[in-house]
Amino acid sequence: MPPTTSPDARARLWRAAQLAPVLSVLVLLFGGALVLALAQSLGFAPWFGVNTFPDPSYFGSLWGSADFWVSLGLTLAYALAATGLALILGTALALALVRAFRGQRLYKYIYKLPLMIPYTVGIALAVLMLGNGGMVSRLAAFVGLIDSPGEFPRILNTHYGWGIIAVYVWKQTPFVALSVYAVLLGIGRDTSEAAAILGANRRQIFWRVTLPQILPGIVSAALICFAFNVGAFEAPFILGGGYPDTLPVVAWRYFNDADYTLQIQGMAVVVSIALVAGLILFAWLALYRWQERRMGRR
Amino acid sequence: MPLLAKARHVRVSREGVCVTEVQLRSVAKRFGDEVAIEALDLRIPDGELVALLGPSGCGKTTTLRMISGLETPSAGQILFEGRDVSGVSVQERNVGMVFQRYALFPHMTVEKNVAFGLSIRGLPKSEIAERVAEILGVVQLSEYRKRFPSQLSGGQMQRVAIARTLITEPDVLMMDEPLANLDTGLRGEMRRFIRELQQRLGITTIFVTHDQVEAMELADRVAVIFDGRLAQYGAPDRLYRKPASLNVARFLGATNLVPGRLRDPDLVDTPLGTLVCPWRQGQTGDAVHVMARSELIDIGTERTAPTDIEGRIIAREFFGATVSYSVACQNTHVNVTEQARRMLELGAPVWLKLAPEHMWIIPE
Repeated sequence: MPPTTSPDARARLWRAAQLAPVLSVLVLLFGGALVLALAQSLGFAPWFGVNTFPDPSYFGSLWGSADFWVSLGLTLAYALAATGLALILGTALALALVRAFRGQRLYKYIYKLPLMIPYTVGIALAVLMLGNGGMVSRLAAFVGLIDSPGEFPRILNTHYGWGIIAVYVWKQTPFVALSVYAVLLGIGRDTSEAAAILGANRRQIFWRVTLPQILPGIVSAALICFAFNVGAFEAPFILGGGYPDTLPVVAWRYFNDADYTLQIQGMAVVVSIALVAGLILFAWLALYRWQERRMGRR
Repeated sequence: MPLLAKARHVRVSREGVCVTEVQLRSVAKRFGDEVAIEALDLRIPDGELVALLGPSGCGKTTTLRMISGLETPSAGQILFEGRDVSGVSVQERNVGMVFQRYALFPHMTVEKNVAFGLSIRGLPKSEIAERVAEILGVVQLSEYRKRFPSQLSGGQMQRVAIARTLITEPDVLMMDEPLANLDTGLRGEMRRFIRELQQRLGITTIFVTHDQVEAMELADRVAVIFDGRLAQYGAPDRLYRKPASLNVARFLGATNLVPGRLRDPDLVDTPLGTLVCPWRQGQTGDAVHVMARSELIDIGTERTAPTDIEGRIIAREFFGATVSYSVACQNTHVNVTEQARRMLELGAPVWLKLAPEHMWIIPE
């Protein structure tokens, strides 16, 4: 009997067909690009007339400079601060949304607006509102808090990254709220009511009953936000404090340099970002899995 | 039984007498424009097991939630031992609730679930461990203490929920549809378990159900609620035999409700002829219904008394232990149920005996 006619084989074939689209994108496009980027960063670029593979000097010069570590620090600091803030605000928002209140339906539409607006628009809004000639500074001058708009403290284009963080938080708070809200709806209010009857106050209910149950939603939302924030380019490029830039901006500058052999150096930056982000996300997931096992969720 | 002693001690020490009576005084609840409870008056005596029975949406669960403090009444008072608890928060009310789907904390073991109430109260670890072990013994789940709720059966989850509640020594225990989610076999077991535990601890218990069988199996008293109003409140047998209204009779499964008109003190004119029934209330000429429970009607193949009613079997249903006949008499149908010792044939002429003491007049 030919193997294709057995139901078992057909099921396997069908499963392969279902997995193929994602798998081919992952393996061919993403995987291929990753291998190529790694090879290039190690000196394999015959199209530029450079082929010193394997050559660690690109990484060596990159990791050897103090500015790289400052850039890395800034990248991580902005990403972590924004992710943390969005998590706190988004979770609080989701918790508020599951309780019935007046105007709830309208609010459920409004809070999702930033999700539909592109990052670039958000960045433009930040420039309009928070910049030194922006609305907030003019308003502050108008009500007499400061004498002229120019005296307004610098929010954008400093190494504190307030503008970058603001844009990320603005965009990602609704995203966190959306995913946590779905989880909250799934767990219902039974367990928190049971806890209240057993004597737990609001704080105890949140920390001991609700949070452990919505943790999967928070963890995955954090993962997605952080991965985006580490790799995002536009916000730090436009709103950042200039040299030393965050790593994606550093990479972009290398790629745009007149000296195209510097692209190899750019690849080393890209690979460094991938390495650091991958390591952090892996550690985050491992920590979460350990926590899950401790709570008996396998 | 140390648990019993402890529970008693708490209850006795409060007022010197042993009472945790729950009283509802014209309690009402509105959600926006929607009226869930009109005005409910109910007194639940100390140590009794009371069922709130009614169709879904009648307000029984809302009533339970108001007693627990999860909802605030729009009007009226809720009293525990004569003390108004309307201003007392859920946390302080010292009640227990077993939810319909148990609401166990999925991320905690059985042990942690049960310990929750005490750990919230900040009791020392050793005392918590001791009392958890004790109560897990009571609900016979000691060997499951390290399991998670997802690894338990429905009956076990319910027992965990009961243990988790009882460990806090509540003044009042509440249960939402306690048997609804269980298999038939388990229902009997859980019913006996709840009954025994309740009697042993003597704790005032209120449960909600839409199932009249469940209410009668379990409760000392049943409060029937329709559309946010108390329709009748009494012992199960009284509700069953002497319903106050047609709705209560129907909800408790009465099949023979014959319309009639009151003549003389104890005679009712019906399509079945003039029936002799014990007089209750009302005046000559009042429209009434006569209820005759199908299992209290005798059916025979021969006429033995002049008051026997003639009929013909038009349908028969066999339930194993019992058999149910539909009998056409004059212009109406009468259902008769009897032990399946014999089987009467379809179409056979029969005689029905409706004894006066087994009939009940329901005013219109």
